[in-house]
Amino acid sequence: MKPDLRLVALDEKRLRVLLAASGWIALAVTLLPAGWPVRWLPALAFILLGPGLALLLPRPRGERDGARLEMWALAGPMSLSLGVLTATLLLLLEVFSVAAFLIPLALITSVAAYLPGLPLPAALPGAAEPGRRKHADTG
Amino acid sequence: VQESPRRDGQGAPDTPPRDPRRTVGGETMRLPVLGGPTRARTAGRSGTGTDGTADTTAAATTPEHGETMQLRTVPEAAGPAGGTTGGRPPRKGGGGLIPDGLFKGDLLLSWAPLAAAVVLWTVSLPFVGHRTMGDYGLLDRMPFTYYLALITLTGGFLLSLRRAGTAPWWPAAYCVGLLFALKAVPAVLYDAVRYPWASKHDAVINRLLMTGEVSPYTEQAGNMDAYEQWPGFFALNAGMVRAFGVEAAASYVNWAPIVIGLLLMLVLVVIYRTFTEDWRLVWVGVWIFQAANWVGQDYLAPQGFTYLLHLTIIAIVFRNFVLPGSAGPLRDHSNLDPVAAPVPPPTTTRQRALAVAMLVPLIFAINSAHQLTPVMLCVCLGALLFTRRYRNWGLLVTAGSIMLFWDLTMGRPLFMETMGTIKDSLGRLMENSRAGYAGQLTGPGPELAGKANITMVLAVALLAGISLLARRKLIRSALPLGLVSVAPVPLFAVNDYGGEMLFRVYLFGLPGAAFFAAAALVPPAVGGRRAKPRAARGKGLGAKAPAIALPLVLAALVAGFMPSYYGKEKMYYTPPVESAMVTRAIDNAPEGTLVLATTGSFPQALHRYDKVEQWFFAEQELPENEKMLQDPAKYLSDGIPRGVSSAIVILTRTQDIYAAGEGLLPPGGFADLRGKLESSPLFTVVEAHPYGVVLKYTPEKAAERSGGTSR
Repeated sequence: MKPDLRLVALDEKRLRVLLAASGWIALAVTLLPAGWPVRWLPALAFILLGPGLALLLPRPRGERDGARLEMWALAGPMSLSLGVLTATLLLLLEVFSVAAFLIPLALITSVAAYLPGLPLPAALPGAAEPGRRKHADTG
Repeated sequence: VQESPRRDGQGAPDTPPRDPRRTVGGETMRLPVLGGPTRARTAGRSGTGTDGTADTTAAATTPEHGETMQLRTVPEAAGPAGGTTGGRPPRKGGGGLIPDGLFKGDLLLSWAPLAAAVVLWTVSLPFVGHRTMGDYGLLDRMPFTYYLALITLTGGFLLSLRRAGTAPWWPAAYCVGLLFALKAVPAVLYDAVRYPWASKHDAVINRLLMTGEVSPYTEQAGNMDAYEQWPGFFALNAGMVRAFGVEAAASYVNWAPIVIGLLLMLVLVVIYRTFTEDWRLVWVGVWIFQAANWVGQDYLAPQGFTYLLHLTIIAIVFRNFVLPGSAGPLRDHSNLDPVAAPVPPPTTTRQRALAVAMLVPLIFAINSAHQLTPVMLCVCLGALLFTRRYRNWGLLVTAGSIMLFWDLTMGRPLFMETMGTIKDSLGRLMENSRAGYAGQLTGPGPELAGKANITMVLAVALLAGISLLARRKLIRSALPLGLVSVAPVPLFAVNDYGGEMLFRVYLFGLPGAAFFAAAALVPPAVGGRRAKPRAARGKGLGAKAPAIALPLVLAALVAGFMPSYYGKEKMYYTPPVESAMVTRAIDNAPEGTLVLATTGSFPQALHRYDKVEQWFFAEQELPENEKMLQDPAKYLSDGIPRGVSSAIVILTRTQDIYAAGEGLLPPGGFADLRGKLESSPLFTVVEAHPYGVVLKYTPEKAAERSGGTSR
């Protein structure tokens, strides 16, 4: 059992370190010439998945079936939502620039990467019917 | 009715609960936990795994929830392919690069059709005639190998369904393949933005980048105010354009359907898995969704983006917002369809409050980006109140409050205007549900596309209707999905959304419709966890009907997608020279110029929309346009407001195709218009090409000429 847990933990740890750095990598590659794949690929990956994955990882042990799938499905929309809100706020404040756009997202991602993942209640290991009740319906 | 944890274990009657890990080669390996009723069918059977190793499949019951899990394990003494390796993990294929069994049996049937389809699709690309499209758009410009690729994909997908319970990644790979096969052709081949109106979004992004601000209260030309009042999506793209270092969003705009499609697929799977354990049903639902998603709202636009966020919120609600004690009889498996998933575990008030807080950024992002989707979200959350399972007033109030906040602040101008006119549109069902502007689709391609659209809608609705009758237990447990799918329908009674409401209602209803349509085609698996005993099942044609219907319907839907999506493609592809002409004309126009065009559906129509005005003079009923064609020069001259210092007319090939296809102008009307304007003394030709003409409004020259004549 232990080697298994170590393997999983190691992968997750590496992923979180990568996530913590992803925003800063995306910012650094903006110094590269425009249009190069080494510039837009890290930026795309970060904007698309970085903040969301950092917020959702690490997942608690023993999650229910489907929790991993749920995490990957949520990572993209959550990342993009944060990107929308950051960019809109910058434009409203009239301080928009590429650095002003990427730095807050990179900061959020770095901090979130070292915090526990957001709790998705139904995926938690203990999530089950709390007790037996009467008067239920068919929903 | 008392609720109780699952106590079925029917899938593995002979298998005691066990640890979901097995020792292999002296080490403990984590094993994939899979779902689906087919896992029961394969329980205890040995065979060849997808990775080429011999495997044993077993079922187990988790102590927490009584859920059966399938374990694919490598037997301890399976020889070089998977046996003991002296403390090291076993190597695949006996140490070679190619896994054993790659060219045998099930594994061969899993990957070979996909590989063949990829090859066929790739070799077909150089032969796609998008630059020479005729009446049927891309339909008759796709080579035979392209259609062969679609057939191969469909066949391979059907084969992969046989093992969907143990290897769900194969149908997943085919669904991804279908997404690429159907929608990546323009992304790979086009040297221009697909959909002329997508360039309008590019114009908004460019303006945001140039000015570095949004102006929600400044009146913009060409009805562009809404884009400044709901700027979230464009702001995100402004950030992406700068981060990628590209010149404009036009560089990646054609890839949006693929990226959005992939993200959407994940969310759909989460939704479908909430209501069924049958992976076949899940992937057939995804397949139908993709084939029936011809509406064209997957391009780089706020609707496609917010649709993804909307479905994400719905998915989170389905999984995480079940009220305690609300599932009732649905906890009893005798009340469930054989493949229905158990109701997700209930959550406490505190957990749900936390989940609402997690959703706030998504709800805000939707509200910052689009005006209609927040309404759809509130309507869907409102519909869920009819179920006790998801009666969450707090989430609805939160979503409604954020919507009102945005509407009354950033979106106030358009919101107040809409509120002012809503009493006129209220209850006008026929007008609100009309498609497009005013005309009738004209020409072989557009007419075929129109018929295919209707047929596709009816086919999906019919299939969903069949499952209403045949799978009543599944409908009962998946009722929330059904409710959120039909909830937007009453919006027909409220507003026409610029002739778009019909398509938007269809789009929002599609996830549920596709799932229930799939349920009509995918009966519970033989030997499924709660399936009937073999003896009780029919053996006649009725029993075989789904096996016959499934391939036919899936192939027919893919076939129907093609005219629906590509039948009018001639309207959607514009050669770069034409776009360059428009850009040049508007760049050269002084500030305050009025730009006249038959319709706004041509690339760069809204270029510099903060500097120039637009009048799309043929976007009206056909009789009015026929009157206009009698003397277009005078009609336009009379319509140009006094005080306009400069006016230009831009007529392009794309406008011609759109105006004819949508029935705005009669046959030959566009050529007639161009000829009369070119010969009119009121207008002077600035530049003329086979693909378009730019004319300048010169009333002073006309006056001089008429003065000279009279002298």
